[in-house]
Amino acid sequence: MTAARKDRVKRRLIQQAFADNLDTIRGLPPRAVRPRNRNARIWMRRAPLLLLFLTLAGSTYLASNPTSVRDTIGPAKIVMNRPARSAGVPPTSIDPTPVTAAALQLSVRRVIVDAGHGGADPGATSLLNVREKDITLDIAERLEALLKKNGFEVVATRESDRLIPLRERARIANESNGDIFVSIHVNSIIKHTASHGIETYYLGATSDPTLTRLAADENRVSGYSVADLRKLLDRLYADARRGESERLADEVQRQLVGNLRAADPGLENWGVKRAPFVVLVATDMPAILAEIGCMSNDTEVARLHRPDYRQHIAEALFQGIHAYASVADASQKKGI
Amino acid sequence: MPEILHVGIDLGTSRSSISASNGERFVVDSYVGWPVDMVARKVLKRGVLIGHEAVSNRTMLDLHRPLERGLLKEGSEKDVEAVRELLKHLLGLVGVSNGGSVSASNVRAVVGVPAAALRTNKQYLRNSMKGIVDSLLIVSEPFAVAYGLDALLHTLIIDIGAGTTDFCVMRGRYPTEEDQRTLTVAGDSIDAQLLKLIEERYPEANVTVYMVREWKEKFSFVGKASQKVIVTAPVKGVPTQLDITNEMKAACESLLPPVNEMMLDLLARVEPEFQERVRNNIILSGGGGLTRGLPQALEAALNQVGGGKVRYMEDPVFIGSDGGLALAIDAPDGDWEKLSG
Ligand SMILES: Nc1ncnc2c1ncn2[C@@H]1O[C@H](COP(=O)(O)OP(=O)(O)OP(=O)(O)O)[C@@H](O)[C@H]1O
Ligand SMILES: [Mg+2]
Ligand SMILES: [Zn+2]
Repeated sequence: MTAARKDRVKRRLIQQAFADNLDTIRGLPPRAVRPRNRNARIWMRRAPLLLLFLTLAGSTYLASNPTSVRDTIGPAKIVMNRPARSAGVPPTSIDPTPVTAAALQLSVRRVIVDAGHGGADPGATSLLNVREKDITLDIAERLEALLKKNGFEVVATRESDRLIPLRERARIANESNGDIFVSIHVNSIIKHTASHGIETYYLGATSDPTLTRLAADENRVSGYSVADLRKLLDRLYADARRGESERLADEVQRQLVGNLRAADPGLENWGVKRAPFVVLVATDMPAILAEIGCMSNDTEVARLHRPDYRQHIAEALFQGIHAYASVADASQKKGI
Repeated sequence: MPEILHVGIDLGTSRSSISASNGERFVVDSYVGWPVDMVARKVLKRGVLIGHEAVSNRTMLDLHRPLERGLLKEGSEKDVEAVRELLKHLLGLVGVSNGGSVSASNVRAVVGVPAAALRTNKQYLRNSMKGIVDSLLIVSEPFAVAYGLDALLHTLIIDIGAGTTDFCVMRGRYPTEEDQRTLTVAGDSIDAQLLKLIEERYPEANVTVYMVREWKEKFSFVGKASQKVIVTAPVKGVPTQLDITNEMKAACESLLPPVNEMMLDLLARVEPEFQERVRNNIILSGGGGLTRGLPQALEAALNQVGGGKVRYMEDPVFIGSDGGLALAIDAPDGDWEKLSG
């Protein structure tokens, strides 16, 4: 490179570095995913959905209003017209980090068990007055007992009927150095009371067309295209955690469906999915969110009311975690 | 007009350094600790301890390493406070302080942080550093390294630190998301791995992660061992010699699969006509880059795709802060003024 050329390149780099810092001061997202249009930029700063995605990139909104973020994107609201489909996620344009558990030599000792909702936040409720927060806490306690009996360490994010902000849950998980994070929830699908199923989420851009459509609707004013949002998220998740989270989600989903179908042949497998849940964004370890049933289906609510069925669910969750951990440990012993 | 002091700061997971335009350079361990109680405070005679001092008095301190795993943990006031203390301490070392020779309002600072921190909590990071100096430019650490080395074009930087291994392809522009990758396999994960392997082989030995890190920094290697690695550790209270050659090799080699994979993946994304140039221009930096045999092992992986060259940068301690300083000095006044306040 000639000296003159080098100076030119340096000048450009400096200019871009300052522009990037100024953008941060103004609260703008990274340049690569920013719309060119000026009007769109102004809109962008106002649109709430955009703030959500900024949260994912900049993590500042999280601090101010964790619950409403989840409300915007929680499964109960997104999934209104769910097509029944099997596990598996379409590949995205940007590859995640190609790191395997074998390479990272992971092993699972400490499991963070997160009982969804609590206190003033009941989660999904049913006509029979069964509340999501009670179900999740009960299953979490059962799961904790099973894990401990089998030599795992457990840290619970919630141990009583208390409201614990998502951000606090993530803090507990991160500060206690958990190896994996398992969040337990119960689905509520307003329109589809006839069907019921199980699904497990991990952090990522969504693969759900209903969420995509929702995003597209919101984005009309945000200036973001759906493709841009996807890109933003995909880049954010290009870490080793993502592959591991997916594997954990796969194992848990497989065990849940496999084990619970025996008690409930009509149970649908809604598969493993990605979604940008705040609690999954903020945790440092492989993390999943399992929707272990549906509050909107009356027979299922009746089943969830039974202690033996809840024990069944806890056992399935445990099996899934155990399967995940054994693969991680086996590859380690082989020293791959 | 008062004299302006330019500084470059490398805020690392394990070590942080500062280079200033007055010729001063310092490095400290990235630890900040506060006395746990009144007694500790009396003994230590200070409200906050930083660096090596903090580590050696850790039993009396609430000890923080603010950028663990390359991120500034959100929601932890203490970690934010630790970043601020660390910055103030570094600036104090080069003469910037309230009563010092340079006032903070005359400082232009470029701070390099782990790429992951910049990716996930840029704004938070910026707010945490607010008000410490008048003008502050935050950049990713591998970018500062590249700038300092004049490696602006067709270069791949692989910075193996404590918390993270950062990759950055320089293509003549300020690196975007596409140009950078981060792995959490790095110095700390090797330490953890080595500790575990030694505990498995010698269950009776009493070994801590601090001992293990020291051994690693002395004997790290990948590939063929040039000598046996023999260390001394208490076994049932008796100092005993342990052969940890195989454990050292296995722990250090845990870097190879992910680093190779990531390196090849990034190279494959470079425009085809430039790939060969980038392959021959790979720069290894960071403490982990000192691992014996590592450049050769990476070159062996490059042979699958037509070969390449990996250089290790001597004197890795100040490359990042020197790069930041160069940037600070090169930037025009007009740009700095936009950022001040
Ligand atoms: N000779 C050596 N062989 C292997 N590892 C080493 C050697 N010397 C130092 N290290 C390791 O390098 C790491 C520190 O490197 P460095 O100072 O570049 O990290 P950092 O910049 O603080 O971290 P990061 O870049 O993740 O923020 C530590 O894990 C240390 O144990
Ligand atoms: Mg570093
Ligand atoms: Zn819920």
